Amino acid sequence: MACRVINKRRHAGLQQLSSFAETGRTFLGPVKLSKFIIDEESHESILISSTVRLLESLDLTSAVGQLLHETVQAQHNTYRTGTSTLLFLVGAWSSAVEECLHLGVPIPVIASVMSEGLSSCSEEVVSLQVPVSNIFDDMDNTKTFSELEPFSVGLCPFLQGPSNTHWIQEDCDLRDVRSQPRTVFSLSASAVKSPKFFKPQVKVEADQNTSQTLKTSVLADTCHRRSVLIHSRHFNRRGNNQINKPDGVLEHHGAATPKTSGCNSLLELAVGLSHGDHSSMNLVEAAARLQWQSARVQPGSRTVPFTFDISRIYTCCLPGLPETFSCVCPGYITLISMSSSTLVRELQNQPVRVVLIEGDLTENYRHLGFNKSTNVRTVLDSVKLQEDTSEELWANHVLQVLSQFDVNLVLVQGNVSEYLVEKCRQSKRLVIGSVTDSAMQAFAEAAGAVQVAYMTQVNEGCVGRGVFVTFWRSSSLDIVDGNNRMAILLKAEGIRLVTAVLTSPVTAQMQTKEDRFWTCAYRLFHALKEKRVFLGGGAVEFFCLSHLHVLAEQSPKKGNHACSGWLHNTSSWLASSLAIYRPTVLKFLANGWHKYLSALMCNTAISSSEFEASTCIQTHLQNAMDSGSPSSYILNEYSKLNSGIVNSGISGKPEKIPRVYDIVTPKIEAWRRALDLVLLVLQTDSEVITGLGHTQKSPQELEGYLFL
Amino acid sequence: MSRLEAKKPSLCKKEPLTSERVRATLCVLKGIVTSCYGPSGRLKQLHNGLGGYVCTTSQSSALLSKLSVTHPILKILTTSVQNHVTCFSDCGLFTTILCCNLIEHVQRTGLTPTTIIKLNKHLLSLCTSYLKSEACGCRIPVDFSRTQILLCLVRSILTSKPACMLSGKEIDHIGALILRAFLLTIPENAEDHIILGKSIIVPLKGQRVIESTVLPGILIEISEVQLIRLLPAKKPGPLKVALFRTSLSGDLSDTGEGTVVVSDGVSLENAVLDLLINLGKQLVSDHVDLVLCQKVIHPSLKRFFSTHRVIAIDRIGVTLMEPLSKATGTQPIGALGAISPSSYGSVEDLCSAKFGSKHFFHLVPNESTICSLLLGNRNDTAWDELKLTCQTAVHVLQLTIKEPWVLLGGGCTETHLAAYIRYKIHNEPESILKDGGCTQTELQLIAEAFCSTLESLAGSLEHDGGEILTDMKYGHFWSVQADSPSPVNWPGLLSRCGCGIYNSQEELSWCFLRSTHHPFALETCLPHEAVGSANNLTLDCFTAKLGGLQAAVETANLILDLSYVIEDKN
Repeated sequence: MACRVINKRRHAGLQQLSSFAETGRTFLGPVKLSKFIIDEESHESILISSTVRLLESLDLTSAVGQLLHETVQAQHNTYRTGTSTLLFLVGAWSSAVEECLHLGVPIPVIASVMSEGLSSCSEEVVSLQVPVSNIFDDMDNTKTFSELEPFSVGLCPFLQGPSNTHWIQEDCDLRDVRSQPRTVFSLSASAVKSPKFFKPQVKVEADQNTSQTLKTSVLADTCHRRSVLIHSRHFNRRGNNQINKPDGVLEHHGAATPKTSGCNSLLELAVGLSHGDHSSMNLVEAAARLQWQSARVQPGSRTVPFTFDISRIYTCCLPGLPETFSCVCPGYITLISMSSSTLVRELQNQPVRVVLIEGDLTENYRHLGFNKSTNVRTVLDSVKLQEDTSEELWANHVLQVLSQFDVNLVLVQGNVSEYLVEKCRQSKRLVIGSVTDSAMQAFAEAAGAVQVAYMTQVNEGCVGRGVFVTFWRSSSLDIVDGNNRMAILLKAEGIRLVTAVLTSPVTAQMQTKEDRFWTCAYRLFHALKEKRVFLGGGAVEFFCLSHLHVLAEQSPKKGNHACSGWLHNTSSWLASSLAIYRPTVLKFLANGWHKYLSALMCNTAISSSEFEASTCIQTHLQNAMDSGSPSSYILNEYSKLNSGIVNSGISGKPEKIPRVYDIVTPKIEAWRRALDLVLLVLQTDSEVITGLGHTQKSPQELEGYLFL
Repeated sequence: MSRLEAKKPSLCKKEPLTSERVRATLCVLKGIVTSCYGPSGRLKQLHNGLGGYVCTTSQSSALLSKLSVTHPILKILTTSVQNHVTCFSDCGLFTTILCCNLIEHVQRTGLTPTTIIKLNKHLLSLCTSYLKSEACGCRIPVDFSRTQILLCLVRSILTSKPACMLSGKEIDHIGALILRAFLLTIPENAEDHIILGKSIIVPLKGQRVIESTVLPGILIEISEVQLIRLLPAKKPGPLKVALFRTSLSGDLSDTGEGTVVVSDGVSLENAVLDLLINLGKQLVSDHVDLVLCQKVIHPSLKRFFSTHRVIAIDRIGVTLMEPLSKATGTQPIGALGAISPSSYGSVEDLCSAKFGSKHFFHLVPNESTICSLLLGNRNDTAWDELKLTCQTAVHVLQLTIKEPWVLLGGGCTETHLAAYIRYKIHNEPESILKDGGCTQTELQLIAEAFCSTLESLAGSLEHDGGEILTDMKYGHFWSVQADSPSPVNWPGLLSRCGCGIYNSQEELSWCFLRSTHHPFALETCLPHEAVGSANNLTLDCFTAKLGGLQAAVETANLILDLSYVIEDKN
């Protein structure tokens, strides 16, 4: 067993943390640059664009790396979002903590003050919350929206400005912002208000931009200098992302209230939470809409409030197809072998009876927990000629049951014997394996079937009715993936299951697409569950930054022990020295957010350099501090951005910028987890290697170890 | 052809403690545990160096169980501390540090081990009788009609484990939960014999600490799909329960060695299934509403149950069996034969509960002392630490029922005890000397070593270069910044003593703990108003600390007594 001291002079653990975190820097914000990870030994490479996938592919064998991986996984498993924020803040705060250590601040003081500062931020940031209410009450009205707005799934609705305006769309493939970050839109002449963190020089331009004649030059200038983001969650730029909305749909927006008015349309919420990923969010929004529609027709649904049930969404990935094929449909879409296409054609247009099988459908399968005895031998009483193999016998028996109950469709959770599939196909019965849990449950509910473990258990009560089998698209032949399989759709009246078909011409991007779909889905899910969202676009982070600066200038409140851990309660000298170190430590904590914001601005190309971003943040910070209350400063800036009903000048209809939102608890938890990890590593002074792990190390590596 | 190999001779080492290597490893171990001690103690990352789980901890139970020590002397030490921890849960680090320090300090005196051991025993009994006496000035009686002291005790345990990563609010929340869980395990109708129940810790990993909660009864985790399927079958009111220990999966129970020969056409599986269905029929005719099985239930039997509106839950696991049997009053059934009606039990109600993403069946027993403590924490390593801490806290509360006192924490008990012994040996050495066998000088030397051991133990609470002071009236522990100005300003700098019972407003005089100071008489009566009103005292478990003190001194004596280590090299 060996033991190593890890914080002699420089804290090795914190240094490791910040260098690990650096790798995920480009994942922050709506523009995520993909990375290739190449295995040097096997020469395999994968394309990743999320923190979780990054950490999965990195070799993090060190203790700190493991802890980081574990923390990110925990956040991902609980919320499915917020991991990039977590990773970035881990890096930013570990270097902040290191700087505190250099200044000689005692470790317990750093831990206590930082923890207190973050708790205070999490409590105060509530002022930037926006209630999400009655989203689905309004659905009947907004249902007409598909007629009002060209809102077809698979296309990006936000780009469909009126065709007769002077708006220029140079590239409408927003979905590929990542790969083609040159999507450029012109600045409209009317849209001159500067959003928060607007580049100072653009502000100037915008002010001058009142005359139409100047327009073109500015336009050219802004267009070609850098990419412009549409619906960036962080930076909303007026003019380039306006939705043309006929009056009445979102009236509350029109009211020029600086206070946060609620968010009460699903579309508005979805747009706000899309964070630049419209194609995914569109699918999610459509899925929620489908769920709501199917829930509404259920008896008694009026009394029960509708909940967005994410477990009843299923994704079917079809690599190789163009992106326009992405869509959501009620029912279950799955891939089956091409050889069954005639069978599907025959089963089409008629309700079929279904049997649901838990586990595998093979001869030798036994339910989980059944231990086969190995020492049982069967002897034959008389010499019979074995004509059929046992598998044939079994398959015949299964077929007998199926024909007895007139079943044409068998859905199996696990694997299916190939032999049986073939046999069934011959007798016009379709067997589909690897069906997910939630799909089985959905069919059990909708078709009135009961899941059974063995075919022998099937009786009339278990068989479901009214399932329809069709090809996913009518022209089925072109929907074939590389393995010679085609997509079919299984439906039943009132089924509570929505399949999102995700397509991508680039196979390597499939995983990314699926991940991004789920990220959007969970974002919407959390927002609807919590019934509140944050104002997005860096507002909360900026609030925390300015709040900590305010806090650092105040003396610690007496009796404010609640959020500061054990230190206030003790009699240790550290408690009395707290006041001396507190402002310094709080400012370093705030620096983490400063870095976060400036990284965002650089990533999204709002600022061309870190220095520029930093200056801009500093200016706003000063303004916020001067105004006395950071939250009202932010709300004011926001209302400036959002309030005006701006005339587009052509159509005469009001224009508005959709607000950008962030989810509440997952975000706060990501902060907390990041800080916890940093403080955990900070308070660790040695690493104990148990077992014989150290014997495999070379003598050089073992330098600095102590042995027991 | 057999081959004989000569046996290697055993290796015999004389006076192992004098060896440089032993001293060095003992020093490393001491360094590890000392740096973990107290609320500002540093954490340790324990891992195998090959990737995989990393345990971040500062608790002796996690630390010592994972340390693999090689030398027999260290083995004696770690084993005895681990024994102590299994009995008392708390004060493991205290015991280890005390033992290491004592060995180190008494060795410096250069006296013979026999004298040292003898005097150590005397000093130990001096300590224990003082701590147990009514006159003890560092002990507070526990008033079970009020929660204050108990909450302080739990909170002290929680704050002393920084790897739990709890904020102040979370400490209050978890502290209250632990106390509630403990109270739920006390039977309502107490006779002469109280049999305490059990609190089961249910993991809610990944959830927020604030979402932790405590529920009376037992929670059985279950998938959402299963819950949807089972719950509609539930009948209102009390439910009759059958609990199975045996598997109902339909496989052949142990067929023993050899081969079972069956003739073609006979299906053993079907035979067992028939047996199961018969069993099911008996349960249905006995009006059982809820069947619980530790292992697996055959799908056909499950189906049979659901058609008869019996809720069947399988794969409960062995850990829940004992609490389930206690809470429902069932006899676990171990065979597929006829069931005696006395094996059935009952529950008041069965409902569903959802915490985070997990779904549970909540069994509400009629009257029981079983409760479930649902614990959440942000990551695995912090959760594991929190779980251990909660177990320790519940155990400490149980120990406190037996001996209803608590000791002052934060180093005050140690410094107070040191001051008491120093004074006692200085003023009344006769009580020990009358036994003969040692001189007054020897007694003075060992007593000084013993006292400085206790004082250096208290000093181990400081990890950031602060100075430790003690007052000359109560002998309590005070902490001050290292480069603090002259003693004149101390009253202004100091706020409260380590345990929090005295403040610097009183007319006190202080001196450095490490400096040699003259023995002084202690004020041993505790101010009652202070005990009653103080909300955040730092307190320690009386039983565990006393046990730790004894274990440490006895282990040190044992190690000092070793004169040979004989190793069998074969």
